[in-house]
Amino acid sequence: MLTSTHSSIARPCCIPRSHIPTPRAVLSGLGGSPAPLIGPPLPQNAHLAYDASPMNSQLFISIHIILIVIHVILITVAYLIYLERKISAYIQDRVGPNRVGPLGLLQPLADGIKFMIKEDYQPHGADKYLFSLAPIAIIIPALIGWAVIPWGGYWDFPGFTVPLVGWVLEPSRVLIAAANVNIGIIYLLAVASLGVYGVTLGGWASNNKYSFFGALRASAGMISYEIPLGLSLLAILLVAGTVHPQSIIESQVAGGWYIISQPIAALLFFVCILAEANRAPFDNAEAEQELVGGYHTEYSSMRFALFFMAEYSHMVTSSAFLIVLFFGGYHLPFIGLTHPAATGLLAVGAKFFVLYFKVLLVISFMMVIRWTVPRIRWDQVMKLAWNNLIPAGIALLIITSVWVYLGWTAWWQLLGMNALLTVLIIALMPLLPRSQTNRKAQLAGSRFSPLPGEQVSTAPTSSAARDDQAPAVPSRETVGA
Amino acid sequence: MLLAVSDLSVYVPIGILVLMAVGFAVANIALTLIIGPSREGAVKGQAYESGMNPLMSARKRFNVRFYILAMIFLLFDVEVIFLYPWAATFGQMSPQTPEGAVFLGRIMFFLFTTVVAFIYAYRKGVFRFD
Repeated sequence: MLTSTHSSIARPCCIPRSHIPTPRAVLSGLGGSPAPLIGPPLPQNAHLAYDASPMNSQLFISIHIILIVIHVILITVAYLIYLERKISAYIQDRVGPNRVGPLGLLQPLADGIKFMIKEDYQPHGADKYLFSLAPIAIIIPALIGWAVIPWGGYWDFPGFTVPLVGWVLEPSRVLIAAANVNIGIIYLLAVASLGVYGVTLGGWASNNKYSFFGALRASAGMISYEIPLGLSLLAILLVAGTVHPQSIIESQVAGGWYIISQPIAALLFFVCILAEANRAPFDNAEAEQELVGGYHTEYSSMRFALFFMAEYSHMVTSSAFLIVLFFGGYHLPFIGLTHPAATGLLAVGAKFFVLYFKVLLVISFMMVIRWTVPRIRWDQVMKLAWNNLIPAGIALLIITSVWVYLGWTAWWQLLGMNALLTVLIIALMPLLPRSQTNRKAQLAGSRFSPLPGEQVSTAPTSSAARDDQAPAVPSRETVGA
Repeated sequence: MLLAVSDLSVYVPIGILVLMAVGFAVANIALTLIIGPSREGAVKGQAYESGMNPLMSARKRFNVRFYILAMIFLLFDVEVIFLYPWAATFGQMSPQTPEGAVFLGRIMFFLFTTVVAFIYAYRKGVFRFD
């Protein structure tokens, strides 16, 4: 049942739409309903007339999904800022926002109004056009990246005639996603790489040295972490054999979630989405102690808010992809309503809420990481990407492709492969060349690190310290006596 | 299999989404331009550099390390892009066939060239960041 479902609905966009038997057509062909015989005879090329219509069922549903989900995401982003402030408050033993509305729940609204009525100022040295362009350039990729996420799986659309216009939408099986493109994962990567433009432009156009350094660091970090991101995705695509997100979920339902069979890839992906979103512990772009606010130092009012919203909607998108790729998407084990084969309206709603809840869990985890893990120095961030994550990603890709060639793609075989790779990495680690830069410098000649052959006294020099230390040894002797 | 022209309609929602994102950004900036105050000042127009008077423009030469890093990134990114169609196709092939061995061998050689380039860059000290 599972495999047949998978193979028949894996690539809906490659099958000509006129060849998909719709439930109603199958029923009217089987049953004794004489209705099709009574009406006027259909023209010979009726299916061509359907294709020429400006609207079809998938497009109609997709537009409605866009209109619903973009509001869900924008409201979620507003409340994620509230959630982040609350989580940071509880971690730091504070209360957090609690003045506006019950439990401070109207705080995002107050923040929005405040952003709106602040002055939108440009420093005199700034590049006028690029300065205006940067917030727009960063919010667009953040807001269009989620287009290929299958929020609710397939739905058996019962057919509908649009009033006033008269478009007839045939009953068919539609995907509850903004865009049912069969290259979904490649679309994600293409859009995610565009985010670096807004950062670079914003930092360069501000004509501020802190912004400039922040933009340099951020763009270098973002492009570096894109490569292990792509390599960890390849390990999944090799096992799934497809780049269509819905098909990846279906193969996970059939063969076990990829968090079990590819844990190294999941770890790489999670680290990379933290770095891509410029989240702690990789938030060197806006390290407050060194760079003021980083690339958005000079931005105020709504333009600053756009940078902020871009970061949070990027978190939503990348967490949703983490869920889709590794945690089974909308699927919960042992619950039939969230199985891809369930295509009713209730199942679609249940799947949407399951996916949304999983995304909120991942985002909360990212927030806890931000407020508990110290920021890594910039050169360590870059070394982690180039010296550790990328070699690990290439090794994972090679060993996964060998395993796929041998046909060992059951979850326990892949888990064994991951264990083998971990053992190999740990065994090879001491043999790799170690970087001597940024080691702790020897204080040559000091009394705590003497030169070879030098005799120094480490006894305390001040009389106060000597007095503190003196009674310790005799008192122990008196106790023993 | 040929891709029917009507199948391109799945990309129409992405176009709508891009228009909505542009509209959202532009509308927000326009609103704050209309609602917010606007006052000019010579000191106010300076770049904020932690209270110091900015000494000179920030548009100066910067470390060449970032340029080299971007070039290495291009090498790897293009390589990864080539691997996607291969990965999606290779995952669908039946295991342990001669065609599969050819597929695997060729991409292993491709990866080998990249690994050689990576080791060369490593030995040249591109990834030292000191």
